[in-house]
Amino acid sequence: MDNNLIKLKPIEASPALPNLDKLCDMEAGRMSGKIFWDGDIYEQELEKIFARCWLFVAHESQIPKAGDYIATTMGEDEVLVVRQKDASIKVLINACPHRGNKVCFAEAGNARGFICNYHGWAFGTDGALRGMHESGVYEDSAFDKSQHGLREARVDSYKGLVFATFAADAPSLAEYLGPMAWYLDVILDNDEGGTEFAGGCIRSTIECNWKIAAENFVGDILHAGWTHDSAARAMLGGAVAQVSDFPESWSVNWNGHGYEFARDLVGNAAVLGESAINKYLHLQAPKAAERLGEFRSRMLGAVSSFTLFPNFSFLPGQNTMRVWQPRGPNKIELYTWVIVNKNAPQDVKDKWRRGAMMTFSPTGVFEMDDGENWEYCTKTSRGKVTRYQDLYVGLGMNTRLADTDLPGNVFKGQLNEANSRAFYQYWKDLLKAPSWADVPDRNGQLR
Amino acid sequence: MTLPNEQLVSLEETRAAEAFLLREARLLDNECWEDWLATLSEAVHYWMPGIENRRREDKLGTYSAEHMALFDDGLRDLKRRVNRFNQPSAWAENPPTRNVHLISNIEVFAGDVEGEYRVHSCFVNIRSRGLDEHYQLAGRREDVLRLEAEGLKLLKRKILIPNAMLLCKNINTFL
Repeated sequence: MDNNLIKLKPIEASPALPNLDKLCDMEAGRMSGKIFWDGDIYEQELEKIFARCWLFVAHESQIPKAGDYIATTMGEDEVLVVRQKDASIKVLINACPHRGNKVCFAEAGNARGFICNYHGWAFGTDGALRGMHESGVYEDSAFDKSQHGLREARVDSYKGLVFATFAADAPSLAEYLGPMAWYLDVILDNDEGGTEFAGGCIRSTIECNWKIAAENFVGDILHAGWTHDSAARAMLGGAVAQVSDFPESWSVNWNGHGYEFARDLVGNAAVLGESAINKYLHLQAPKAAERLGEFRSRMLGAVSSFTLFPNFSFLPGQNTMRVWQPRGPNKIELYTWVIVNKNAPQDVKDKWRRGAMMTFSPTGVFEMDDGENWEYCTKTSRGKVTRYQDLYVGLGMNTRLADTDLPGNVFKGQLNEANSRAFYQYWKDLLKAPSWADVPDRNGQLR
Repeated sequence: MTLPNEQLVSLEETRAAEAFLLREARLLDNECWEDWLATLSEAVHYWMPGIENRRREDKLGTYSAEHMALFDDGLRDLKRRVNRFNQPSAWAENPPTRNVHLISNIEVFAGDVEGEYRVHSCFVNIRSRGLDEHYQLAGRREDVLRLEAEGLKLLKRKILIPNAMLLCKNINTFL
């Protein structure tokens, strides 16, 4: 799959920032707001996290036919995700190798190729340079078209989700996901038909650091009962379920990814207030049990959330998938999609599309309170003194479960900051590591 | 693109439709949520599709009914949204968001059936929060107003903004 790869010029690795251990000490369960505000740290993140990790770029259902494409970004790098004639998928940098202009200005569509508006360089959907306006004049310069195609990223998919990375030395996607794939299957593989995205993508901007949003989904259900009290009362006429009352729940992480979950089947979905969705989940649970076993079948729409490191998050039940696109240290673009089982009845799919809109979207009654919190978690770090004060990340320290069959690093309960600590630890490890080979394996040691 | 045949209605009817829209803006700016809900028909469909940045030749167009939306609401949904604003625990609304809704370009035409009006208008919504938050959204609306037992009610609203990405964190008002 990696032929043609990689015409990407490697970027020169910049030395790790000093003092990262002072700014982020997960052994002690504390960090500093500087990591949400500092421009130098952000530049390092673009290089050592977003140019390195496997990033979510598309769901296969968004580009079913040859020539179908969507435009998105990997970090701040603009890319096109394009279905090829042989049904494979390529991820191409959306920048002409002549003067760097964008070659595609639409967010999605179907194309036979991409032609740069500036000097008429024309590329196939595979990224190969096919021709140029006034092509004859290039002959004297010994111009070799084969050397001037659109640059490609490495691509791989997992059960419908397409990921890409710019790093030649990155582990395989399967290795990158590791044991978290077992949990992703709750959503991606609970039904024989697999999943699809609803049409469209809702985009908004939040003036917050990307890590605050990613961390919120990696393992912070703690905020829900307080932050979202108004939304829960609006949707259900009562308070959010008291998570501390759940007999069993878990926080699980691995290499910075995290999933926090209960096994109440419909806890997240219930806030949509759509009986058809609750009914669907109850009907789906026994089918899911046949595919995934009884344990995971109770997670389908349960009180839960996850983030795949660094910035791809999901809420089971509300069925929203989103990417927190970094746009500077204190701004993100939020891309929101809705995922459904392909074989679900159309009425149920429509209810999920509207339900995600009502709850977790810029008009959603839940997200309104999140956005406000995240912006001010970021903006207070503008204060030079405030920026250096400790932030507490110690909840659930030393609650690791030893006697469990569950994959990954397993911690007791959802009301636990173990996943947040694992997220920031991995973040710091990547910022310190000169290459993928230098990233330490801390699984098994995290507290 | 050509516009459909549009039949003007009487000055009196035109004036009533304009008054409806201007009063609605004042209700929203003053957070008169219950009075605002009372301007809606039981059968209201309040729709603000997500805007898609597609090429001219793309038959899917700029928006579609089957795709994701910012509002795609019936009365039950709109009541739920109002219900959140009314909660003492709506933390992000205290101190309140301050709103101005400017309404202009009002055109009133006969609807498809007797007692209905097709009303076009433009809006500029300016919101401010805290000291330095300032958000401006402008767009076009296409409404169907219906004369019901208690007077004019909003039966349908389609809201189109030019933005394919909101340059703000939320839309915590109605447009």
